[in-house]
Amino acid sequence: MSLLLQGLALGVLTGGLYALLASGLSLYFGVMRVVMVAHPAFLFLAAYLAYTMHTAFAADPFLTLPVTVPVFFALGVAVQRLLLARLAPDNLAMMSVLLTFGIALTIEGLLGTVYTGSYKSISMDYATRSLTVGGVHLPYDKIIAFLVAAITLAALFAVLIRSRFGQALRATIQHREAARLVGIHTERVAGYGFGVGLATAAVGGTVLALITPFLPASHWAWIGKLMAIIVVGGLGSVAGAALAAVVLGVVEGLVLVTIDATWATMMFYVFLFLTLLVRPQGFFGGRLAHRF
Amino acid sequence: MSEAVLSLEDVEAGYGRAAPVLRGLSVTVGAGQVVCLVGPNGAGKSTALKVASGLLAPRSGRVVLAGRDVAGLSPQRLLGLGLAHVPQGHSVFREMTVAENVRLGGYTVRDPARLAERVEAVKELFPVVAERWGSMAGLLSGGQQKQVEFARALMLEPKVVLLDEPSMGLDPRATRVVFDQIDLMRRTGVAVLLVEQNARRALETADVGCVLDLGRVHISGPARDLAADPRLGRLYLGGAAT
Ligand SMILES: Nc1ncnc2c1ncn2[C@@H]1O[C@H](COP(=O)(O)OP(=O)(O)O)[C@@H](O)[C@H]1O
Ligand SMILES: [Mg+2]
Repeated sequence: MSLLLQGLALGVLTGGLYALLASGLSLYFGVMRVVMVAHPAFLFLAAYLAYTMHTAFAADPFLTLPVTVPVFFALGVAVQRLLLARLAPDNLAMMSVLLTFGIALTIEGLLGTVYTGSYKSISMDYATRSLTVGGVHLPYDKIIAFLVAAITLAALFAVLIRSRFGQALRATIQHREAARLVGIHTERVAGYGFGVGLATAAVGGTVLALITPFLPASHWAWIGKLMAIIVVGGLGSVAGAALAAVVLGVVEGLVLVTIDATWATMMFYVFLFLTLLVRPQGFFGGRLAHRF
Repeated sequence: MSEAVLSLEDVEAGYGRAAPVLRGLSVTVGAGQVVCLVGPNGAGKSTALKVASGLLAPRSGRVVLAGRDVAGLSPQRLLGLGLAHVPQGHSVFREMTVAENVRLGGYTVRDPARLAERVEAVKELFPVVAERWGSMAGLLSGGQQKQVEFARALMLEPKVVLLDEPSMGLDPRATRVVFDQIDLMRRTGVAVLLVEQNARRALETADVGCVLDLGRVHISGPARDLAADPRLGRLYLGGAAT
């Protein structure tokens, strides 16, 4: 029983982080109907930058954020405007995968050159300690990861729901033509949507660096997991992806403590296939999938 | 006839590098006038409206709005010049409330007092919209969604409204409401360019009818005469237009 509680608690904490990591993918898909394969590569680019901050300057990894968040935002806008927006609409889905695959390989290559191919990790002094509540051990690094993810997502939702830009972005995602007809510059908004998506990768990658060792090729393990989350959540729905992330995080945590790590990872794909079979539009909102 | 608010003159337009869809289309709408475009599926009716609202730039020809050639201007610009377009099918923002949808109709209005005033005006014009104000738009019935779309389109008090098959998929009661509102737009001096599959019903409401086929207007005239024109039936059955 306490084992299950442990799995549940860890699952919620990791699920919260997954929600942040997947939110960018949801945004990209929402605004452009593209799968941005390079998102996890950018996560690890942010992780390595946090690593450099920690090792070279002996500073807190989170101090990279004031630099990486705006830089990643600008990179996101650039990727959308200079590359994706120029692809022909007829084969956008296919070409965008090839293009972002290329970006992912480029980032991986650069990271390999600069940091070598061996594992790196950031160990903060709090990483080894944990909080014990009712027999359940909650490692501090996981708690911090969860809190940072929760705060970032809350900020993202506040922007999406309250701000004028957020209204325009959601309108663009939900009905692009109608959005243009009420006066929204949907091209510009799509660019900023990409910027916001990549900015979440700056935060997500920094957090990831605190809780797991990584090497330049680490992003490959993530693209599948994150894709599964956004499909289960309903393509293009940021809120749906967040819910799906927590649910899958919990399932993963429970399977991890009761069976093993291989099965835990497998759960993502089991849920992916189930979703595609039973409810291709996703379980938590998002009605974009059945437009294909 | 009243002075022209919107006219398409000898417009040629199409998608990408494909052959043109519109081949010399001309149509004119005056203030307080309802002009109905009818024609078989794929004739280019929706394309004509897209050209008029700036969603699609014409390859050649003129689009004149309130005396000014606006061909190739963006939808944002045309909106500011008094044009509104309710596209074919469902176009509400499904995962937003009715309130958010209607307020987005005033997206370009920066003055909150003015926005509030317009919101009140359209709520009065569309009772269903006021009733369902806090509901998620995607959960409304097809007829109610159309009302939200109309309300959103009228937020800026347009001079001309383009309606693309507004009665499509609606039950007879919701259809009647739609046509009553078109009639109301006319009485308030708005010019309406209406596209309809339901030609008989549309021609009862419209002042002028134009039969579009293969990207060009083949027959046009007073809607009442056109409704009785045997060529209309023949065209729909695939016969020659002349
Ligand atoms: N976005 C598009 N891209 C390419 N071709 C299109 C597009 N929209 C419409 N068409 C083509 O243009 C022609 C006219 O379409 P449309 O204007 O929608 O006709 P209607 O509204 O009269 O049924 C059709 O042959 C259709 O296939
Ligand atoms: Mg049409």
